[in-house]
Amino acid sequence: PCPQQEMDIPHVIDEEMLQRAVEEQGPQDPENPAASIAKAEGIQREHVRRLRLDFRKILKIDHLWEFTCLTKLQLDNNVINKIQGLESLTNLVWLDLSFNHIEVIEGLNTLLKLENLSLYNNRISVIENMDSLVHLQVVSLGNNLLSQLDNIVYLRKFENLRTLNLAGNPFCKDENYKALIAAYLQGLVYLDYRLVDEAARETGLVRYQDALEELRHEEEEATRAMEAKRRAEEELQMHREAFVEFLNGPYLFDSMYAGDPEAAKLACLPGLNTLQQVVLCMQMFELGLQQWERRKAEVDCFFECYQEAVADNRKRGAQLVNDFQGSIRETLAEMQHSTEPRVLEAQRNQFREDLSQLCDTLLTVELQLVNQLEDIIKEFERNVSEMIGGFLETLQGIYPFCRDLENQHHEKLQEIALATLDRVAKGTMEQEMPDDVLALFVDKDTLQSAVGASHDIHLLRIDNREDELVTRVNKWVTELMKTIQNDEVKRNRKRMAEIFHYADYMKEQMRETLDQETG
Amino acid sequence: MEDQQKERILEAEEEDDQGSERSVVEELQELEETHPEADASSAHSPLWVRALQPDPLCCPASYKKHSPQERHLLKMAHNFHCQYAHLYPIRKHLLLYPLNECGVQKFVSTTLQPTLLPYPELYTWDGCSSLVSDFLALLPLDPPFDLPTHLYSPTWVLKTRRGSCFDFATLLCSLLLGAGYDAYCVSGYAVKETCLLNQSCQECPLLVIQDKEKMSEQKTPLKKYSVKPRRDLSSRFREQQQSQRQAGVQAAVAGRQQDEQRLQESERPPVDRFIGHWVHCWVLVLSGSREVPENFFIDPLTGRSYPTTDKRFLGVESIWNHQNYWVNIQECRSGCVEMTFDLGNAVKWESLLCCLPVQPQLLLPDPKDPEDEYSDEEEEDLKVFEMPPSWVKRIEISQQDMEMRCPTGVKVIQYHKAKLEKVAPYLLKDGLVMRLTTYKDLDCTESDTVKEWFQHRQDYLEERELNRITNVTLERFGPGRSQALKTHRCAMLLQGMEHDMEFYSHSRVDGLAKRVERPTEITESFEGRTDFLYHRHIIFGKAPGPGGTTSGEQCPILKVVERFGRDCSKPAGEDVAERVFLTAEGLIRVTYHLEDDRIIPAQRSFAKFQEWPPSQRQQVFSPDMVSTFLVDPSEKPCTNQSLYNMLVSLMKEEDRVTQEIRSSSKEVRDILALRKKEESNCELRISIYSTAWSEEARRYREELERVANEERLWKERKGVDELAPLLAKLGNPEHLTREEAEQLRKECLASLKEQLVYRANLIQERFQKETQQLRLKQQWYQQNQLSMTQEEKEAYMSYCSSAVLRIKALKLRLGRHKDYAPQKYLMLDEKLRRDPRLSKHLC
Repeated sequence: PCPQQEMDIPHVIDEEMLQRAVEEQGPQDPENPAASIAKAEGIQREHVRRLRLDFRKILKIDHLWEFTCLTKLQLDNNVINKIQGLESLTNLVWLDLSFNHIEVIEGLNTLLKLENLSLYNNRISVIENMDSLVHLQVVSLGNNLLSQLDNIVYLRKFENLRTLNLAGNPFCKDENYKALIAAYLQGLVYLDYRLVDEAARETGLVRYQDALEELRHEEEEATRAMEAKRRAEEELQMHREAFVEFLNGPYLFDSMYAGDPEAAKLACLPGLNTLQQVVLCMQMFELGLQQWERRKAEVDCFFECYQEAVADNRKRGAQLVNDFQGSIRETLAEMQHSTEPRVLEAQRNQFREDLSQLCDTLLTVELQLVNQLEDIIKEFERNVSEMIGGFLETLQGIYPFCRDLENQHHEKLQEIALATLDRVAKGTMEQEMPDDVLALFVDKDTLQSAVGASHDIHLLRIDNREDELVTRVNKWVTELMKTIQNDEVKRNRKRMAEIFHYADYMKEQMRETLDQETG
Repeated sequence: MEDQQKERILEAEEEDDQGSERSVVEELQELEETHPEADASSAHSPLWVRALQPDPLCCPASYKKHSPQERHLLKMAHNFHCQYAHLYPIRKHLLLYPLNECGVQKFVSTTLQPTLLPYPELYTWDGCSSLVSDFLALLPLDPPFDLPTHLYSPTWVLKTRRGSCFDFATLLCSLLLGAGYDAYCVSGYAVKETCLLNQSCQECPLLVIQDKEKMSEQKTPLKKYSVKPRRDLSSRFREQQQSQRQAGVQAAVAGRQQDEQRLQESERPPVDRFIGHWVHCWVLVLSGSREVPENFFIDPLTGRSYPTTDKRFLGVESIWNHQNYWVNIQECRSGCVEMTFDLGNAVKWESLLCCLPVQPQLLLPDPKDPEDEYSDEEEEDLKVFEMPPSWVKRIEISQQDMEMRCPTGVKVIQYHKAKLEKVAPYLLKDGLVMRLTTYKDLDCTESDTVKEWFQHRQDYLEERELNRITNVTLERFGPGRSQALKTHRCAMLLQGMEHDMEFYSHSRVDGLAKRVERPTEITESFEGRTDFLYHRHIIFGKAPGPGGTTSGEQCPILKVVERFGRDCSKPAGEDVAERVFLTAEGLIRVTYHLEDDRIIPAQRSFAKFQEWPPSQRQQVFSPDMVSTFLVDPSEKPCTNQSLYNMLVSLMKEEDRVTQEIRSSSKEVRDILALRKKEESNCELRISIYSTAWSEEARRYREELERVANEERLWKERKGVDELAPLLAKLGNPEHLTREEAEQLRKECLASLKEQLVYRANLIQERFQKETQQLRLKQQWYQQNQLSMTQEEKEAYMSYCSSAVLRIKALKLRLGRHKDYAPQKYLMLDEKLRRDPRLSKHLC
């Protein structure tokens, strides 16, 4: 930092500064008519693509949110000490923050398109917070306070990184500096203003072979884990769409016991079998997947046909408009050349007739499409509801078996519990029981209520799962149909607006032509 | 068999019982006329065989003698024939053991020599058959209703380049067997036209348009939710009227077709009286080997294939391959339609060598097979006689003959209203290899279209088609021309010429695929351009000069339309689809691509500002000059700056496009000029790998040698030019005066004299030196003779002898020099006198 700058009063980026910068950096050449046009019209901030704000003693970045189109921003040679206020500049490709007082890399995570980043001559000691900048190609971090060579590892995640500047950092004095960087960043072409030395890379690769190997292994593990997680999530999503998530295993059973402290205690009673619900769950799960596939095929088929019909209609419409434009241009050209008022009048009438005919045809075509689509939407709704109805019926046929199983289990549990109570009372218990379980066997009522409570909880769980399923299925159907209807209405309105807008424009054109003629 | 034929004749006679005898005589006369060389009276060997008798000394022994196996076979064949004649007394004799060129009886199967020649085209049946049909000239059978007495070996046939249909079939069958086909020679009867190789009633195969109506127009199965078709609101009455009108048109078409049929009937040749008697031999290929799906016939004379049910083949007597011989014992009343070729069926085919199962296996016998002897023994045990190996030598065709194909290099085939000429490559100077002329009339006098094929042309011309009626020329080029021209179609229009050129777009920088130039317009289409331009249409106005519409270069451009493909990197509303420069009206109209769910594209039209000085231009632009239609009314309109920038860039583009148009119309003219030049001076490319065309290569080599030789000679002469240094002293003047010439001569002679004297002196000096030394040595010896050792004496002796030798040699040289010096002097004088530079002054 220049001592002169430190004496001056630092600024914050404000409206006035921005306005001046934009005006200065717009078209300036007095010979170029574009400049005067720009001056007369003013420059829209959202259209500015490059902005230079250097040597302005800026301390704080602010007021930049309007420049959404900005691709290049220069903020070098200021006194900025914190990166902020850049979140909305998502189109930024080039960012220059060199010669400032920045200590921490931050606030860059939204700049996904960034390719060229300069943080030269700042006070940064750690490379961090750049995970999302995957397109980075050029990074300059020279003349900073980087002292740990470990920082290099962070740069490995930027696959497109080709040019890197780290000169003037404390760790450059390390004798291994070049070899290490060359070995760790194998895509790198330029380092510190020079081509990467291949010999250094070779020695580095040999020297750090083990560490690199380990690192690579770790990275692979990480990507594999990510992949597995993603796949599991996808699968779960599919199951959710089939409304049978967590039914392909003992999850329901587990959840029944999770909210039931008594059951855990009772589970250790001798001679008690665990609940055999898994088979039923699997049955439901399989059914759900089957149904899901059928539904998906149905929905896909519907949308395919829908798109086809719309595309076909669009093609017809476009063809009509295209033909019309060809003929109408000729008419307009003729109108420009004819002077005879009677001929002109006839041409105008012809024009109007043609236009209204076109509009009529287009509207008819549109109406036909609306009717056709209405038919298929109705049919689709009917089919889907039928399908859903069948699915729900089958599922609801399975749930009673679940309940029966639970009832049987409950009865057996009761039986065993009572027998155990007898034995406890008689003191003929062969095996020891934990104290908290023994506490249940003080008298018959306590036991009865404990077993009953457990049963109730179980039943409730089952009911809940059933209710949830039914409501979700119904909700899905209504939402799907609603979206389809809404989309169709929107499409229709858009097309109508388009047609009328065009008709208006053509009328305007004709009037202009006539005005030219008369005026 | 024979009675069937008799029946046919009788039928024919019954049809026309008036003057039937006369018509038969006429037929025979006609025959004689068409084949004057066939002398009906000569019974055994026709004239041409006598003319071309083989030298018996040249023929290998197998041609002249029988092996024991062959003798055995001939006995068997004779026996077979006797039985056959006994069983079927009314049938004609079989062709079993005709004479070969050496006059020795050979069994027909042993005349087949399965051979695979090292030419890739001979690996398929169509390659073989077209080669045989081109390679040999036909000598019709004489008499045409009898089997030939001779069957020549394929090697002899290849040497003489002529033969009967039996020779054709034998050669073709040998090649096919060598290529692995299950092929047989068929001896039988065919229609007259086939036997005499008269194709003038057939359509040319090149003209038969293959009706490959691709019925791939699969109707996509109606999906569950496909929309119902729109209601049909067209009028029934109108349809009815339409159909009535169509019926009328159809009736007219039918009438015309009937007329045509009548015409064709009148074109049909008169009925042949000898139908069923014309002996013919052709080739049968059975399915099974080489992925042949179905049995078919090949006519070796034309080289074309026919189904086994074809009407031109009327009956089969016998068939044979190199392993066996079968006689047909099926009815041939309805030609070959109902015949089966299941050779294992003893009820339908009687084989000569029994118990030989028909095996559709590769039939190239390997003589070096070690198992052969073993299998022979085995078969002897089984008492099976195997067909002896062929007596014919290996069939060979030289590369040069392969290229020449037809005996003379030229072959003309007359088809129905068409004539096909085939020429060997490099034979004609313009590289023509094939010409097909179609005619309007039957007599082939008025040509309709001429299609020519070329090869090895320096200008890469491959095909030219000229339509004489419409006067349209179409030329096709191979890749490799400088402007990547692919086709050039040239037509005469009322207003001028129309040039329609196609290009190899991938090898052009501008990706031009097609350009159509008419007097007032040019249409260009492009492929694979980075700016997505695919169409450009230019309309020119009349040239400003009086009555000058000839060259497009001066004509003003009225309108340019450019169309672009969709560039997916831009949003549809900003991606230009069409650009129209209305140069005459000062307008530029831009239409953008359709957005995904729209039917109306966005468009802008700009009025150009006139050419003002730059300082004033800024006032000239105003937003009124642009009229914009945006599909979405809620979209923000463009700022004036961007509109201005658009206009400026469009105007720049217009200038660039104008430049391109000028250069493209220049290119058309260049191409036309180049074509004209090429056509007037046509050259052929000779492949560096072509050894068959060695004459060219040899000439080239000789030329090179000659040039090198001349150069050497020239250099030699230059080396002894005595005048050169003296002339150089004078500064190499072009013309010499008399004094200068005289002076030159004197100087030249003087220098020679000097040289000669110097040389004489040199020799003299050496001679004197040597004698001096010898004398000194001798003196020294005489003085010290007594005190010398034996070695010193010997050294002295050897020195003396060598010194004497040297002195002698020098003396000899000096003498010769003295003799030759005057001669040399005179020779130089003579040469100088004759020197073209000096002669006119000295004589």
